[in-house]
Amino acid sequence: MKRKAVSALLCMSMVVGMLAGCGSTDAGSAGSTASADTPYSGQKVSIMWVSNSSMDGINAVVDAAEKELGIEVDVEQVPGGEDGDNVVKTRLASGDMTDLLSYNCGSLLASLNPSEYFADITSDYADKLDENFVEAAGVDGTLYGIPASASQAGAVLYNLDMYEKYNLEIPKTWDEFLANCDVLREAGETAVLGTDGDSWTSQVPYLGDQYNVQAADANFAEDFEAGKTKYATSEAGLESFQKIEDLIPYMNEDHMATTYDDGCDIMMEDGAAHWIILTSALSNMYELYEDDVNKLGCFAVPGRDAENCGLTVWEPNAIYMNKDTDNSDAVKAFMDFYVSDAGLDAFTGAELPNGPYCIKGYELPEECYTAVKQMQADYFDTGLNSVALEFQTAVKGSNCAAICQELASGQTTAAEAAAKYDEDCKKQAVQLGLNW
Amino acid sequence: MNKKKIYSSWFLAPSMIVFSVFFLLPMVLSLFFSMTVWNFNGFEFCGFDNFIMFFKEDSLRIGIRNSLLYAVLTCVLKLVLAFFIALFLTSKIKTKTIQRSIVFFPNLVSTVAVGITFSALMHPSKGLLNKCLEFIGLNGVDWLGNTKIALFSVIATDVWKGLSIATIIFIAGIQSIDKTYYEAAMMDGANFWQRLKAITIPLSRSSMNSIILLSFIGGLRSFDLIWSMTGGGPGFATDVMASIIYKQYAAGYYGLSTAGNVIMFVIIAVIAFPLQRFLLSKEVD
Repeated sequence: MKRKAVSALLCMSMVVGMLAGCGSTDAGSAGSTASADTPYSGQKVSIMWVSNSSMDGINAVVDAAEKELGIEVDVEQVPGGEDGDNVVKTRLASGDMTDLLSYNCGSLLASLNPSEYFADITSDYADKLDENFVEAAGVDGTLYGIPASASQAGAVLYNLDMYEKYNLEIPKTWDEFLANCDVLREAGETAVLGTDGDSWTSQVPYLGDQYNVQAADANFAEDFEAGKTKYATSEAGLESFQKIEDLIPYMNEDHMATTYDDGCDIMMEDGAAHWIILTSALSNMYELYEDDVNKLGCFAVPGRDAENCGLTVWEPNAIYMNKDTDNSDAVKAFMDFYVSDAGLDAFTGAELPNGPYCIKGYELPEECYTAVKQMQADYFDTGLNSVALEFQTAVKGSNCAAICQELASGQTTAAEAAAKYDEDCKKQAVQLGLNW
Repeated sequence: MNKKKIYSSWFLAPSMIVFSVFFLLPMVLSLFFSMTVWNFNGFEFCGFDNFIMFFKEDSLRIGIRNSLLYAVLTCVLKLVLAFFIALFLTSKIKTKTIQRSIVFFPNLVSTVAVGITFSALMHPSKGLLNKCLEFIGLNGVDWLGNTKIALFSVIATDVWKGLSIATIIFIAGIQSIDKTYYEAAMMDGANFWQRLKAITIPLSRSSMNSIILLSFIGGLRSFDLIWSMTGGGPGFATDVMASIIYKQYAAGYYGLSTAGNVIMFVIIAVIAFPLQRFLLSKEVD
């Protein structure tokens, strides 16, 4: 008797489930017929989103695009870093890639062999985009991607209240910066926040120093790619690694176990004065703490020359179009929408930019973060900025993060780390067929 | 002569085909590709350059040392601890079944989940482990951040997780020992330690050997737990052979990582085969 009742219940739930399933598809088709004027109604576009940061922006654009174009967008999120690289490379090689892929540009794009997999969109978008971005999201003069978000910088985020409290000035040179740190340390504050529990954050002081390296040696990137200059033997290059070593005494004691997520909390709870990090952290903090994020300011990793103190900029991820997509019209339409003012407004409405946009003529919104306004005024309006090394050369050692983490943990010296990194880059050079 | 061969050798064919296609062929292919710089579109022959570069890798020294240390320590710890746990669980105790299941539980959890849980427990300022130490008045330890301790923290976690399998094998071994030996020994007035030394240990030798081999080889190629707890870090302090190879593959140095795999295969084979020989020769019938 009992068994009968249970089976009857199961049958019923099955029927109800089926009805519910049909119901939703009915509603879907009804919805699309209602808005028959949308050009691509019912078409599906899939996008793989490789990133560890906030998804609010892309979700907002997707919602807007679905309304505007009638397409159905399927977003698949993949974590960034080594595991994400593996997924992307395997899916590309096996011909199983989504219609669109949002992934790094620069050296990581070059390592994907883009001409094999991605459509050439030079004639469609190149004029609308910032030149640095076109260079970074393309290989050999062919553009493959449109910017997935705003650019960002590897810079020092600092606590404005603490700077006021201890009467500090924004440092223009590395020595001034360390002097500020001394003041803060003596006052019992954590002068510099280290988040070496996530090794990728360990490399930001080195990577963010690229502007200063280039200021000292304008041809550094070319010579490095050609194998003529090495970090261990170049004075300016070595200094970048030295900076990581210099920071150790000022860091929080548990910096080897502190993660990026912990770091966001610590900065928002006034737990540290400086954090050398990508400015995309601002979005993560905004998501959790909203307007509190405006208590942070931003300055470039200082170098030697107080007159020439500039910012190292990261081009955003780019969105690439799969060459073998079945419905290229709908995919193209989505890309057009993505870089249109309506698309950009949808994105910035949900997720404020972490730096200026790479799309010509698009102004930053009024309610921007304080730190981003500072960036715009101090480094973009003045032209004191350049892109990070990974956008200038395809040679980037894969163990960069671990080498910097090792240095931050005090296991190696700056000179050893620089030599190790040179050796690490050699492997990439071999894979790229460069003669090192 | 003919009597020996009742079945035709063709019976071997199905399994040999599977074995060749899925084991022999890939092995030969990987040997070939380890001597090329390849990607998914093509390859370029480069001789032994990959091997030379792999051996030059600075972290390789750390990797091999860590792999050996990891294998030996997890193996010994599991063996000793599991033996005594098994001894306890085969003695006359109540709630035997429940206790045996409890010992087996850690093995049911996915390794990555164990890794994430333990790295949270071992957090220097927020982890439960250090909070307990603080409570009894001791200074906390940076379990995974301190480069000298990190590997041992992972080893301890591995032992916690892997203990159960070793215990199960030991329980089976100890239970299969004929009770009459113990009865005879007790008649002769042998005490607990004497019985342990003269009967239990020698007669559970075969299970001991399986545990040594399993955990040693498992330790040599361990990867998942280390990757989820430290990612080979801080820096390269807990890198093992497998994690070095994984990182090279993820970076797209396919030829180099294939060479690394060949080297790892050779190293494991060179250690495991003589070890097995040695252990089997010591086994008593």
